[in-house]
Amino acid sequence: MKNETPIAIIGAGIAGLTAANYLHKQNVPFVLYEAGKKIAGLAASFKDAEGFSYDFGAHFITNRLAAAIGVSSECLLVKHYGEAVYLGGKIYNYPFGLVKIPRMTWSGIKSKLKGNGHAPESAAEWFRRSYGAALADEVALPLIEAWSGAKATDLSAAVGESLPGSIGKTLYLKAASRVLGRAVAIGYNREMPEGANVHHVYPEKGVSTLCEKLAEGIADKIKLETPVEEIIVENERVVAVKAKGETTEVSAVVSTAPANILAKLVKGTNTLEKFKSFRYRPMIFVNLRFDGRGLLPDTVLWFPENEFPFFRLTEATLSMPWLAPEGKTIITVDIGCEKGDEFWEMDEDKLSALCLEHLTKIIPGAKEKFLGANVLRTPIAYPVFLNEYEAARKDFEQSTGIENLLSIGRNGEFAHIFMEDVYWRTRKKVRNLIENF
Amino acid sequence: MKSKPLKLTHVKCCVCQSDDATPVGVGEDYEYHTSADTFLAVQCAACGLVYLNPRPDISGFEWIYPPTYHAFDFSEKDFGIVYKIRARLEAKRLLSWCKDLPIDARILDVGCGDGFHLNLLKKYGKETWTLEGVDLDKRAVEMAEKLGLKVHLGTPETINLPKDSFDLAFMVQTIEHVEQPSEILAAIKNALKRGGKLIIVTDNTDSLDFRFFKGGYWGGYHFPRHWNLFNQNALARLAENVGFEVADLTTQVSPVNWVYSIHNALVDWHAPRFLINRFTLKSTVSLSAFTSLDILLQKLGKGALLRVILRKS
Repeated sequence: MKNETPIAIIGAGIAGLTAANYLHKQNVPFVLYEAGKKIAGLAASFKDAEGFSYDFGAHFITNRLAAAIGVSSECLLVKHYGEAVYLGGKIYNYPFGLVKIPRMTWSGIKSKLKGNGHAPESAAEWFRRSYGAALADEVALPLIEAWSGAKATDLSAAVGESLPGSIGKTLYLKAASRVLGRAVAIGYNREMPEGANVHHVYPEKGVSTLCEKLAEGIADKIKLETPVEEIIVENERVVAVKAKGETTEVSAVVSTAPANILAKLVKGTNTLEKFKSFRYRPMIFVNLRFDGRGLLPDTVLWFPENEFPFFRLTEATLSMPWLAPEGKTIITVDIGCEKGDEFWEMDEDKLSALCLEHLTKIIPGAKEKFLGANVLRTPIAYPVFLNEYEAARKDFEQSTGIENLLSIGRNGEFAHIFMEDVYWRTRKKVRNLIENF
Repeated sequence: MKSKPLKLTHVKCCVCQSDDATPVGVGEDYEYHTSADTFLAVQCAACGLVYLNPRPDISGFEWIYPPTYHAFDFSEKDFGIVYKIRARLEAKRLLSWCKDLPIDARILDVGCGDGFHLNLLKKYGKETWTLEGVDLDKRAVEMAEKLGLKVHLGTPETINLPKDSFDLAFMVQTIEHVEQPSEILAAIKNALKRGGKLIIVTDNTDSLDFRFFKGGYWGGYHFPRHWNLFNQNALARLAENVGFEVADLTTQVSPVNWVYSIHNALVDWHAPRFLINRFTLKSTVSLSAFTSLDILLQKLGKGALLRVILRKS
């Protein structure tokens, strides 16, 4: 590319930094705008004075991603990762433990025998057809509804279609995981193939290690505390960005902003208007610190029944023991909410007391073991695939509609993608952008 | 043994300078355990070259080639019957490459290691030939010199080889190790006489063993020491970029990548040591079995190694 006008990248999280790192290596001029005081975005890490670490956002990193970025030696092996489901007061290993419940197995077989008719019109239909009515109605759909805040009948079938893998492959990878003594990545990357030698690792100092590596050598091109206020489009091409009141001419924009916010930032065209209605699910993460380890039966415990205010608990130390001091642990409670609802407004003490109250039903003596808590609230945790804007979402999957405007990253793509997907997809998209210039 | 992390460098495809590449394999140094890193092999979308990216910086050279590295001391004492059989087969191959050479031919082995091939030529070739080697590692050069061979320390592009003076050069399982293949080829071309030949033997990524094990255990990856791995297309393009004429491009039998692919898988799956030891350069049974298999594959044009004969026109 001969053009000396820079490309503007919006957001210095893993996606924005991957784009910046790529452009830097290609000697393409760019400026990276970051609204916050420091880089890393959703991939930021915090460590408190007592030695507890908290990562905000994505936790799934593979050895392949670590190798690609060049941080594998700074990562530790994740020896185990597992999920379980709490159902009727009992705990079932996920997914194969649920096979022990005859009605679930039977309805699963029935749904397979029935075959396919027309294409499923909603997530509800997709899951009933793929998993059988019992597993869909008692486990999958309640979880999806709690997670998205929408009725499964209002959600697009694409929610299910993005779920991974065949049963045979999953069984093989699970067996490999057990024999090899490491958490083989099952369903946590979609861009690249799974295999017994692709497994989870985790940076000793938290996920921000990846961002710091990607940011090497480009510090002078990162503008911190500089939110982009407008993306100016003329004749259906981005020509400039406005930040801190100053307009800068740019050759393209690579944005990591949530799709609906991007649509609002763009001025001078109506092309992105239809993306303004995209919804993200706000989420509250309550990190509770406890004495002891192994308080949960596995790393993740799902709660499809609505007797709890949360739908998922995570004891990350069962996979990454170094995230808490020895003999102590953190349990993260995920509460789906809406901005301004009673949970969103609830103060930290009340939220942790509420969580603790419910946890005592699962962890005997939880209150006695409790050491403290902190709360993270995010208005944009997960994209919600509503059927009402499914056509627009499919368009957005292809492009923003403006040739020199890319939208990348988990929020930017409005897609259920994981960290490794973000890396490979971003590189591919940015390569295409500069090749097409 | 897990050791210190290496300084790593990100690179582009050395054949077409593209960086449009897809990950194909991920793995570790299953053989020598020289570093704590995990490595990634990617395949160029344009030419099919498989390359390590990121790869160790050249400053880590001595670290990734430990003193026990086999190319430094492939001796009869340590490798017994395998040494004898390999020596015989390799001597036959070498002599077939040399059959049209003049009486006063000058021959260069690039990446000569401990001088195994040059020593075979010294033993079985014509006494009137002048034999020279070049290797980057001083330990290898010392070993070769002990055999009375003339070996230059360095790389062809840094040691000022005389122009238009060699009749034949060969790189046997060397090109996959080097930092800048095209620069080395250009330097060799410069040193060859007009009509002189360069013969390259290297791992073949268009083989059945690659297809089976490319996810990470493939012996040809030899993590992290093999930096560029070729199929016929990529190798021919590299040679043509430098200005060589491709006189012949074919495959060659070798059991080594089969044996080491299984070795690496067994190491990773925590197999017992006695089983792992059945799949090394010292295991005659597995080497024989996979030689037989690769002979069959060779008949289908899918041998485990690539061999190209290049001519300076």
